[in-house]
Amino acid sequence: MRNNIGIIIHREFAERVAKKSFIITTLLMPVLMLLMMAAPALIMSVSTPSDKHLAVIDESGVMFDPIKEGVKNMEYLTLSRQTGALDSIIADRSYDGVLYIGADVVENPRNTFLYFHDAGGMEVENTINSILKQEIEDTRLQAYSIENLPQILAEIEADVHVSTIRINDSGEEENTSSTISMFIGMAMTFILYMFLLMYGQMVMTSIIEEKNNRVLELVVSSVKPIQLMLGKILGVGLVAVLQVFIWGVLICLMSAFVAPLLMPESITSQVEMMNSGALDAASDIDPEMLQAIGMFTSVSYLATLFGYILLFLIGGFLFYASIFAAIGSAVDNIQDASQLQSFAIIPIIIALVFSMSVATDPNTTAAFWFSMIPFTSPMVMLARIPFGIPHWEIWVSAAVLYISFIIMAWISAKIYRVGIFMYGKKPTVRDLIRWARYK
Amino acid sequence: MNIIEARNITKKYTGHTALDDVSVNIPQGSIYGLLGPNGAGKTTLIRIINHITAPDSGEVIFDGHRLCAEDVVHIGYLPEERGLYKKMKVGEQAMFFAKLKGLRSKEAEAQLKQWFERFGIMNWWGKKVEELSKGMAQKVQFIVTVLHRPKLLIFDEPFSGFDPINADLLKREILKLRDQGATVIFSTHNMESVETLCDNFSLINRSQNILSGNVAEIRNHMGADNYKLTFQGSPEKLFTALGDMVLRHRISNPADTPQGLVYNAELKLHPGTPIREFITQANEAVDIITFDRSLPSMNEIFIKTVEESNAAADVAKALRANR
Repeated sequence: MRNNIGIIIHREFAERVAKKSFIITTLLMPVLMLLMMAAPALIMSVSTPSDKHLAVIDESGVMFDPIKEGVKNMEYLTLSRQTGALDSIIADRSYDGVLYIGADVVENPRNTFLYFHDAGGMEVENTINSILKQEIEDTRLQAYSIENLPQILAEIEADVHVSTIRINDSGEEENTSSTISMFIGMAMTFILYMFLLMYGQMVMTSIIEEKNNRVLELVVSSVKPIQLMLGKILGVGLVAVLQVFIWGVLICLMSAFVAPLLMPESITSQVEMMNSGALDAASDIDPEMLQAIGMFTSVSYLATLFGYILLFLIGGFLFYASIFAAIGSAVDNIQDASQLQSFAIIPIIIALVFSMSVATDPNTTAAFWFSMIPFTSPMVMLARIPFGIPHWEIWVSAAVLYISFIIMAWISAKIYRVGIFMYGKKPTVRDLIRWARYK
Repeated sequence: MNIIEARNITKKYTGHTALDDVSVNIPQGSIYGLLGPNGAGKTTLIRIINHITAPDSGEVIFDGHRLCAEDVVHIGYLPEERGLYKKMKVGEQAMFFAKLKGLRSKEAEAQLKQWFERFGIMNWWGKKVEELSKGMAQKVQFIVTVLHRPKLLIFDEPFSGFDPINADLLKREILKLRDQGATVIFSTHNMESVETLCDNFSLINRSQNILSGNVAEIRNHMGADNYKLTFQGSPEKLFTALGDMVLRHRISNPADTPQGLVYNAELKLHPGTPIREFITQANEAVDIITFDRSLPSMNEIFIKTVEESNAAADVAKALRANR
């Protein structure tokens, strides 16, 4: 009997891994994710904005030149200076739009209007706004007639970036950035969210299917129901682990071999300098960017992250899959499952939403407790880990999660054992509780 | 020697009792019929014997010891509601079930191939189950049920979904397995197959075992003093001659044959009536064409016993309600 659970796991695993859809998603997903991240930039570079020709009525007489200067990078935009009645120029359809600048624009900056015959475009609007703001502020400043003004302004301009350095448990200094930590935390949380839902529901639907086509009746004559349930959960779980593992390896490989090839020498050397704490303060590259590059090209850092993902993915999956298994065993078809399913889905969604807020402050009391309660802990913990939290919290949270899985699996097995033979009536939560209490 | 002794099994679910103090003894090497109306509790009893569900009270003795989880490798169970994994290939699936029953891969494959050859379905091996018809899938299910040569075979409505030719093939295989020493539990509504296949049976009704025993003995017992007589001549004359030897009779409308009118009479004789005397008297009165014992069919026994038991239970219930 002992090895029967192995036979079940093998079947569940082999059936899924051999599927074309698994192979395709496993290999394509990382590529898709990269594409998705690069998509906005790609689309921007591909799509060329339509040519626009604006008429500018500058009654103040001083704004046209700075604007014309300011928009020179917007190759699709041409401006022509106009004088005359606003109405007739607007009516003249040979212009795409009209920019009206009032004579008193310095005193009354709101006396500027942009008229468009069709959609204007945010970029044009923003550019003009910022040029006008700059010009008006400069004009006003000059009104105070301060000496050496341009020099003063140049001297007081500051490029501020706080380099966050975290002292870790062993007293070493680590370069961190909250923005990057937040980004990594969110990404990990989201991966986990996807996996919990996708693979959890996979367990559920596959149990419903077995029940529906009555193959279950054949299987349980040789396997104890609890073994069948655990075998299914572990088999599907292995598939999830394999998928994440492959992604982890692919990303680490890319980071180790592909990224250095693509990265210009100057950047890699600066990253190295930063890591050794000797970064030239006058570097022209955004330090945040450097840190990000540093993290993504550090194979050991990536491997650690994937280690944590696996730790909480496995725990979270086992815990939630047990709930999904109990639900699947109780119903005859997917439609009936929708109501009961909310008991698993709602906590997952709450965890996801809460993880977003954790990203802004990972050390609140609520964040701590949500990362201990097994319903939310896997995702909230992953959101907190990149910020660098004490190791004991991680291990306690993981321990609570795995123990909760054992308890949940035990309850679910009791429901499962009864549920798989129940056909017809759509069960309520009360039914499930009663089944769990049967001898 | 009994391979199964189910002792005082009770199983309750919320709202109803599936089995109420049921005891069944199944002799080794026999074919045992488990009969009863739908919902009587047969499937629950089978599941308990299969160690799928546990009884609330009572115990099952398997082959001399208390039934335990390890015994299921000696049992082959073909459930009434049965299916296969649709997306899996037939061969792989058969291997999967064989391994669950403890066969090693090589052994399983060799045996499966033998069975597939015998049933003429070798070309299905690499096909997906969803391509098979229901009858084809049933053959595969039968094979995986018997493959590991279990001591005890349990068939729940095995013939449903089979055409007569395949049903006959199946019947022969079941008998062959019995001859090789296996014990067969056979749950069915097809009473004719009980008469031809079963040695013993139990009739479960409303969670209770209301009748158990040897098929032939019970038919003999319940059909004692029942006879069938076909004759030509005057029925009045016959019954006058027989006098109080006949307890009850039923006579059909005569069939008009070229030789004249032929009557069919079903007779219930007074217990202890000497048959020789009866035949002499009847022979004097009319021309006897055939005379035979009339054994009740299992169908009649089933209906009669269940109806009587239901009536008795209803009376008891009414009495309780009035009190």
